Amino acid sequence: MVKKTLSRIYIFLIFLFLYAPILVLAVLSFNRSDSRVSWGGFTLSRYVACFESESIMSAFATTLEITFCSAVIATIIGTLAAMGISSMKKRGQAIYLGATNIPLLNADIVTGISMMLLFVRFTNLGFVTVLIAHITFNIPYVILNVLPKLKQANRSTYEAALDLGASPVRAFFTVTWPEIRSGVFSGFLMAVTMSLDDFSITYFTKGAGVNTLSTMLYAQLRKGIKPELYALSTILFLTVLLLLIATNINGDKKVDNRLIRRVISAVIMLALFTGSVFVLVQQHRISGGGDRTITVLNYGKYIDGELLDRFERETGITVKYEEYEEPEEMYTKYKAGAISYDLICTSDYIIEKLIEEDELLPIDDSQLTNYENIDPALIEMSTFDPSHQYTIPYFYGTLGILYNTKDYSEDQVKSWDLIWDKQVSGHLIMTNSVRDAFSPALIACGYSINDTDPAHLKEAQMVLSRQKPMVSAYYVDETANEMIAENASLAVCYSGEAALAMDENEHLKYIVPDEGSNLWIDSWFVPKSCRNYQDALTFLDFLCDNEVALQNFEYVYYASPILYVQTHMDIDDRLNSAINPENRVTRNCEVYRALDNDTSAYLNTLWQELKSQ
Amino acid sequence: MNKRTGRLLAGPYLFWMIGFVILPLLFVFVYAFTNSDGNISLEAFRTIFTATNAKAIGLSLELGLLTTVICLLLAYPLAMILNGLKIKSQSFIVFIFMLPMWMNFMLRILAWKQLLNKNGVLNAFLSLLGLPGIDILNTPAAVVFGMVYDFLPFMLLPIYNAMSRIRQDWIEAARDLGAGNLLILVRIIFPLTLSGVISGIVMVFVPSLTSFAISQILGGGKVLLIGNVIEQDFMQGNQWNAGSSLSMILMIFVLLSMAIMNLFQHDEEGTQLW
Repeated sequence: MVKKTLSRIYIFLIFLFLYAPILVLAVLSFNRSDSRVSWGGFTLSRYVACFESESIMSAFATTLEITFCSAVIATIIGTLAAMGISSMKKRGQAIYLGATNIPLLNADIVTGISMMLLFVRFTNLGFVTVLIAHITFNIPYVILNVLPKLKQANRSTYEAALDLGASPVRAFFTVTWPEIRSGVFSGFLMAVTMSLDDFSITYFTKGAGVNTLSTMLYAQLRKGIKPELYALSTILFLTVLLLLIATNINGDKKVDNRLIRRVISAVIMLALFTGSVFVLVQQHRISGGGDRTITVLNYGKYIDGELLDRFERETGITVKYEEYEEPEEMYTKYKAGAISYDLICTSDYIIEKLIEEDELLPIDDSQLTNYENIDPALIEMSTFDPSHQYTIPYFYGTLGILYNTKDYSEDQVKSWDLIWDKQVSGHLIMTNSVRDAFSPALIACGYSINDTDPAHLKEAQMVLSRQKPMVSAYYVDETANEMIAENASLAVCYSGEAALAMDENEHLKYIVPDEGSNLWIDSWFVPKSCRNYQDALTFLDFLCDNEVALQNFEYVYYASPILYVQTHMDIDDRLNSAINPENRVTRNCEVYRALDNDTSAYLNTLWQELKSQ
Repeated sequence: MNKRTGRLLAGPYLFWMIGFVILPLLFVFVYAFTNSDGNISLEAFRTIFTATNAKAIGLSLELGLLTTVICLLLAYPLAMILNGLKIKSQSFIVFIFMLPMWMNFMLRILAWKQLLNKNGVLNAFLSLLGLPGIDILNTPAAVVFGMVYDFLPFMLLPIYNAMSRIRQDWIEAARDLGAGNLLILVRIIFPLTLSGVISGIVMVFVPSLTSFAISQILGGGKVLLIGNVIEQDFMQGNQWNAGSSLSMILMIFVLLSMAIMNLFQHDEEGTQLW
């Protein structure tokens, strides 16, 4: 009796462990309040937002498309292969099965990387490369499900059919197929499952702009969790639950379950199919714009989407707009030749590197009627483009300290000294970006943030490693959310991130310490791979228009180099140092210079050393 | 269909495998043994034997082993209890425990991040009970937590499968011959489920050794596993040669664990996952 109770308790505990997180998300999805711990009333708005979110819906569509296509193709190739393998001699079988095990048992990250290396050599990364990768890791599951069925199948009935005059195809469909059908079907389901759940392999083989649910969520999770995701998780959970219960119940009762199963699989197939067609049609609509198309690459959430529509309406030029997260990711893929774009927006030091490598086309200012709208001081500060002919500044800002006024006063955070002090232990968020983390440390040692002397960098690393035990986490994109939720009270972050956080939590303030910091300028450039130079310039000119820039500023919320915006923005914004750095601040700041390869490799090593301590 | 045309059916697969499995691995091999100028060199291997990488490998092994052991300790009794349940529809019970696995991998991590947060649900619950809060997010403990949650089904299923194949008669026979519960467990049940245990171990150990997303998200960027180093080398550091040579090292670990699995598994369906 005791034993029975104990095992009940044990099952219950494991059950709790498995389901508590999912239930918590489900409850939160109906919570009106943004807080994770207090109940603010019932709402369905998260669900509406989830269905309205373009990034979620397009990732969802891509996921369905990849899953369906890869599972079907893998099932066909895999079933044929299983039949081939079963008619081989023992040795041939062993070789084939050994090879089949490679993608199955190899680490996902290695499989993903190996395919990425192959793809960037021969083609651009994109939808097709992800599809190929998924087919590759799906085939083994099909083979391993079909092969046992073939072994059980009686070969002599098939041969009897042939002897009786049936063609091989007919013999296959009337004799072999019914025996292996269940294996093929479970192989297909297995492929669907694996494809739906995959993250690592998709992550390495996807191009910019292609996102499955997993990779979209990865980017979002690092940025901070939005309540729409709770809704998404609950919807997915309920769908899976219903599907599985349906298949399970009819598995118990023997009421013509074959028919029910067929109906269910037909429904699944139909859903996947219509989903895919829908997506294909939509993609066609987006890309089918005729000759006047420009392909634009920008950071995520870095333009007001309405402006893109307006530009297309006014000019008749179609914009294929894609986004990326990390400048280094963009650079790596660009250098690998995996991307070809007409216009790219990125960070100052990356541009300097690309200029040195002679990757850019000069921008003809005389064709930009709105060039005068740009603050000349900002062009002057763009030292990464010494001849001022390759770039147009887009937004700029600073690196500084975001702090909670409940715990710190302005006097305390006026200096970088605070982030090295014992008192911040456990509630400091340090930036997870290599150069931004080293900047305050270099300043603390009395050097420039562009210092390349290895001894000085080593010294800065010592400062950072003394700081590490006090750091609660190294974040970039999650910082705003963690500070809003008051999980930390001090963070080293960008001004834009700070402005977002301050909007959500009135106790937060942002300051650039007196010793100076980094001033960054994100700018547009035209890469050599540009195919539509004229229309790319038209787009740049559009962005420099006064009213357009003001509308864009109100969406992006970073400091704009357009003079009109600086004078016409809301008075509160103008006084907000996170959005609009004062002159006193910018004078003390430096723009990053590109590091030579040796220094950048050394910095990376120092950083990894620090992280592994 | 005679034997020869039968074998031709595997043709597309052969082509696919060479193109998208073997060739990519050769690329990793070539990158690992060349330098950034494309010349043959062992430079990449030299650079990976640093204290940083050694620590990352050490930590990955440590957390991977810990995850595997915890999964085994949780899953084995669970499999026994599930197997002993006198419920008509055992598949339903199994399905209940498998269900979370069907949800997106990232969403499951998201759930734990929400629970473990300093101002999160778990701590709110604990403080309601007047208990001290726990603060493990952004530590290796949180990473292990997440990995156990994610990979537990991989351990449970093979063990459960092996256990459900044990015939009740054998156990009764042992009991008739005077064996106690412990003896039955040690001498009968455990040896008969060993193949399931081994494949469970491999299926948990390999992904937890090579994971990078879980450590990135639940470790707050402070837990550097070997997967994270590789990811950084490729996606940020532009050091493809070093990344490739580290991938080769990872492959060696994977091959080792596969070899161990094969050593213990003699039955024909050893490659079948569940």
